[in-house]
Amino acid sequence: MFPMPLLSLLILLPLAGGASLAFCARRMAACRVVALAVSLLELILAVSLLMLPQTQAAGGGHWLLWEDHAWLPALGMRYTLGLDGVSLLLVLLTALLQVICVLISWERITERPGLYYFLLLLMQTGVNGLFLAQDLFLFYLFWELQIVPMFFLVGIWGHERRVQASLKLVLFTFGSSLLLLVGILGLYAAHGAQSGQYTFSLASMLAAPPSAPVQFWVMAAFLVGFAVKVPLVPLHTWLPEAHTQAPTAGSVLLAGVLLKTGAYAVFRVALPLLPLAAGGATTLIMVLALVGIFYAAWVARAQEDLKRLVAYSSIAHLGVVMLGLGIWNLLSVSGAVLQMLNHGLSTSALFILAGMLQDRLGTRRLVEMGGLWKQMPVLSAFFLFFAMASLGLPGLNNFVGELLVLVGAYQAHSLAAAAGFIGLAWGVMYVLRMVQATLFGPDREREGLRDVSAREALVLGGLAILVLFIGLHPGPVLDLIEGPVAAAVGDGARLALATP
Amino acid sequence: MVPLEHVLVLASLLFLVGAACVVARRNLLMIIIGVEVMLNAAGLALVGGSLYWRNLDGQALVVFILAVAAAEVSVGLALVVLAHRRRRSLNPDDFKMLGGSR
Amino acid sequence: MKGLVLIMLLAPLAGAALNALAGSRLGRNGVRASACAAVLIALAAAAGALILSHGRIQDFTLWSWIKVGSFQAAMDVHYDSLAGLMAMMVTFVGSVIHLYSASFMREDQGLVRYYVYLNLFTFFMLVVTLADNLAFLYLGWEGMGFCSYALIGFWYGDNEKASAGRKAFLYTRIGDIAFGVVLALCFVWFDDLTITGINAQAAGLSHGAALALGLLLFWAAAGKSAQLPLSVWLPDAMAGPSPVSALIHAATMVTAGVYLLMRLFPVLQASPEVMWLLAAVGALTALWAALAALAQRDIKRVLAYSTLSQVGYMFLAVGASDIVAGMFHLLSHAFFKSLLFLAAGCVIQALDEEHDIFRMGGLQRKMPQVGMLFFIGALCLSAFPLLGGFFSKDRILLAAFLEPGLSYKLFWAAGFLAALLTPLYTFRAYFVAFGPRKAGSEVKPSRGTPRFMTAVLWPLALLALMDGLLNLPMGPGKHWLARFFSNVPGARIELPASGGMELAMALVSAVGVLAALGLAVWLYRGRAAESAEKGWRQALAQALYLDRLQLSLLVRPYRAVSNFLWREVDDGGLDLGFTTLAQGLGIVSRGWAAWSGGRLTVYLFSVLLALAAVVVLLTFAWFA
Repeated sequence: MFPMPLLSLLILLPLAGGASLAFCARRMAACRVVALAVSLLELILAVSLLMLPQTQAAGGGHWLLWEDHAWLPALGMRYTLGLDGVSLLLVLLTALLQVICVLISWERITERPGLYYFLLLLMQTGVNGLFLAQDLFLFYLFWELQIVPMFFLVGIWGHERRVQASLKLVLFTFGSSLLLLVGILGLYAAHGAQSGQYTFSLASMLAAPPSAPVQFWVMAAFLVGFAVKVPLVPLHTWLPEAHTQAPTAGSVLLAGVLLKTGAYAVFRVALPLLPLAAGGATTLIMVLALVGIFYAAWVARAQEDLKRLVAYSSIAHLGVVMLGLGIWNLLSVSGAVLQMLNHGLSTSALFILAGMLQDRLGTRRLVEMGGLWKQMPVLSAFFLFFAMASLGLPGLNNFVGELLVLVGAYQAHSLAAAAGFIGLAWGVMYVLRMVQATLFGPDREREGLRDVSAREALVLGGLAILVLFIGLHPGPVLDLIEGPVAAAVGDGARLALATP
Repeated sequence: MVPLEHVLVLASLLFLVGAACVVARRNLLMIIIGVEVMLNAAGLALVGGSLYWRNLDGQALVVFILAVAAAEVSVGLALVVLAHRRRRSLNPDDFKMLGGSR
Repeated sequence: MKGLVLIMLLAPLAGAALNALAGSRLGRNGVRASACAAVLIALAAAAGALILSHGRIQDFTLWSWIKVGSFQAAMDVHYDSLAGLMAMMVTFVGSVIHLYSASFMREDQGLVRYYVYLNLFTFFMLVVTLADNLAFLYLGWEGMGFCSYALIGFWYGDNEKASAGRKAFLYTRIGDIAFGVVLALCFVWFDDLTITGINAQAAGLSHGAALALGLLLFWAAAGKSAQLPLSVWLPDAMAGPSPVSALIHAATMVTAGVYLLMRLFPVLQASPEVMWLLAAVGALTALWAALAALAQRDIKRVLAYSTLSQVGYMFLAVGASDIVAGMFHLLSHAFFKSLLFLAAGCVIQALDEEHDIFRMGGLQRKMPQVGMLFFIGALCLSAFPLLGGFFSKDRILLAAFLEPGLSYKLFWAAGFLAALLTPLYTFRAYFVAFGPRKAGSEVKPSRGTPRFMTAVLWPLALLALMDGLLNLPMGPGKHWLARFFSNVPGARIELPASGGMELAMALVSAVGVLAALGLAVWLYRGRAAESAEKGWRQALAQALYLDRLQLSLLVRPYRAVSNFLWREVDDGGLDLGFTTLAQGLGIVSRGWAAWSGGRLTVYLFSVLLALAAVVVLLTFAWFA
């Protein structure tokens, strides 16, 4: 259909760009320009994909693009990539956050810049591949791939306890993805035994789900694997440490993108592939998500470290996303997918601001902040803006997603929805505490505090415009994802496939 | 005619003695001696088998084993001498430089 | 018509945006001019819309906001008489306050920030006034909450003031939980989020459904309007600048709760229990707050508790099925209460941030205009016969009295008692602050009050005085307001009372008010000090310790659980669990590592052991 393999290009462009950094590895100025160029190119490519018509191809699918090549036919692995509205949304988010990450690392990364930017780009490769993969083994490959650059990013350029944080991150994630592999292999074997055809292809597995006991065990394995990533309480304890110790760009990518891979995997892989086990799974997800919303918000309030507070807020927000997925109807899943985007924007902005504060004040501790509005009004205004976005103030982005999730939840399970609404009040406590501790209070007359620079204002302003835009006009985003979400939810387990 | 069982029992006993010598003695030379004994035990079993099946192949193999044993002993002893020069000890437990992070 | 509504909404928003983005470049005069102009334009648009609508209802959609499946949260507007008049009030009082602030905030560093928030607030309040779709209303509702938070904590350098803002946001958010559930319920039950749609289907609601919706609406309104039990944030909200208190915590935001109830009145009407609850809470709050006001020393806190009390009356009105009375009182209250707050603001500024009435005194002579204005406001608040507050309060009390059932008579009694207390606490404040004192113990204002600041207040005073004309119970033009509200669902024009009863009640109220006034003169004229040791006075000053109760029952446990969950459960339990697991694995690993420690003897032994195992297995395999 298209002369160029656009999807493979999406995946390989960052890798190629990253490899080209080898030529200027030690020079910070050259590295960052190359990285910015590559990220911008990727963003343009992703945006141009928006122009593709939402084709209702034969078979009722919602695929915008599809690529399929043989890989290891003897083992049933194929190199299959598919792009639909949901994956496009997440690819766009990744591309945008990538540009932002390069911009915020502009001045900050002075040692081994080549390696740093290469790792950033490698992460984008991994994540894009994950969002596009339609073959389970390919999916698993990219799932594992995304952690490797994060390990190095946190371990080399992080803060005081970076080594422990990165080790913890890796142990949790690789440990759980081991279970994921077991689940995938189990599914492969069961599917093969049942249909006679051994394949990892997502589409064929969707068409012929295995028997109930197999589904149950595989779902258990999948859930553990994905729940660590999202994260769902109680498997979340790696997140605060990793987020706090990561460099700012690392935190942004971790919160903005990597956490979404877990939720996306539940949406794309776990629930559709295993329809018989999905009933119990959704209930479990719903309960854990609600617990997470309250628990994370409650713990966040007690935090003394700004980044840790925002990390816990991430867990609470992802709780809303998972609640939406757990309810599994049109409204709540639309809200959940929208929230994936929203959280990626608002929480990334908060991490960027936290990083800016750490650079200027030399500390992340809340007791040492306070009274910042006087000396840094623009930064404080941005901080207040994104804090209100995080709170779910109507007119800003998070409100739309949360409203859709909760109203959709009410359609299915009124008690859960009521609990969700109450959980929103919990959010107020820690956000207001965060705002007051940093911005308000007596002016401490610190020396040499600069307000936002032009580059930082560009990044934050861009994010603010997006937050406001989605808050007031979520139509385009909702239209983009409506097709795939309706299909996923409506058919229950079948995701119609069409190869153009 | 010697019954095969007798030969085999003797060979196994010799083998066990050799194995015990290898394992239980903290001395590199005793390990080599033990290995020699085990090799000879194997040779003995082969001779017994050759006798039982009236086939010279077994005895031919014994000649091979003797040759191999000789080569191995010469190289092994040379190594032991060099090792002793290095470490002033013949205790195999002292030679764990290639071991783990212990 | 749509254009006028758009102008009304967008003018303040544009003003806020302009000042936010370019405020520092406009200069102080530019900022003030643009902000005031924005609100004045909105006022003109509101007036125009009111005139052009000719009493007809107008419904239109401004913007399709969220649409997924059959869920539609569009920015719809429902312009009926209620909305029209409310919009007029909001823009008028808002204009006065914007103009007043130009003078009040003349020396403040944060002028730009102030006007941005004030304009933004006006926009959000107008959204609440005009919105048809509940989600759109929620936008305005929460937006107001945010602006209120920002404006209460406007002088953020003081942690206490910032905390007051936080408290306000928190309490209103607790109320808003209920609003969210209402949204979800309306979608699931009615498939329609618009007020017009919901009201149309309200009659068909089952008993339980109406009860649920009603209770939730009550909770949401109670949060915003600071009725019991969600009242404690309002007195603390006085930390903000006086014009803010006038606008947000007298005229507009606190009345938004009542307004919501009036917009959705058919839903409330469907459940008699909810109506009873509204009346009960209203009456109780009116009485409780009036008692508390009696012991306050801070002039703004007196007015805050007074606001709580008067909004209680409005709740009582809704609970007594008389939204005309509620709206009437809302309008009167907006005029005289903002007048009082603004006059108090003049005093506070002139005395260099002095709030304690017992440290004031004799101000009538030093600041005659302000004193006069305050006096006018006080008269109206006290429901002095024939002035604005008199007719509105009287109608509320009559409505309550006429409702069937003994409990409503009790509510009437509570309301009547509060009506007697009102002149008492109001004139206590007036006499102690403005009244004559012994020579030598009077306070001298250290700063002059700009003439503009007081000049702006006279229109407000005039309206407060003449407000009664809106809905006179007899004579030409009687019940004008009620008839104006004929297109509002649930509005009653006349109360089912005989002329004789109405007259009797009015006379009783008038006599009571005058008596209370006399008592106030006797008790407080010339009073310069008040002993604070008396137990009952302490209790009243702390508003019967409601705040402390909620602090110890809710706030402290919340914080304790927060710390506990972090240290014991998250760091201690879960994380410790995983760390121990990792350490355990480490121990096992090191144990195994001993096996391959590079020791030759171990290796040899292992080889021979393995060989023996193989031989044994082969033997068994051979013989099995």
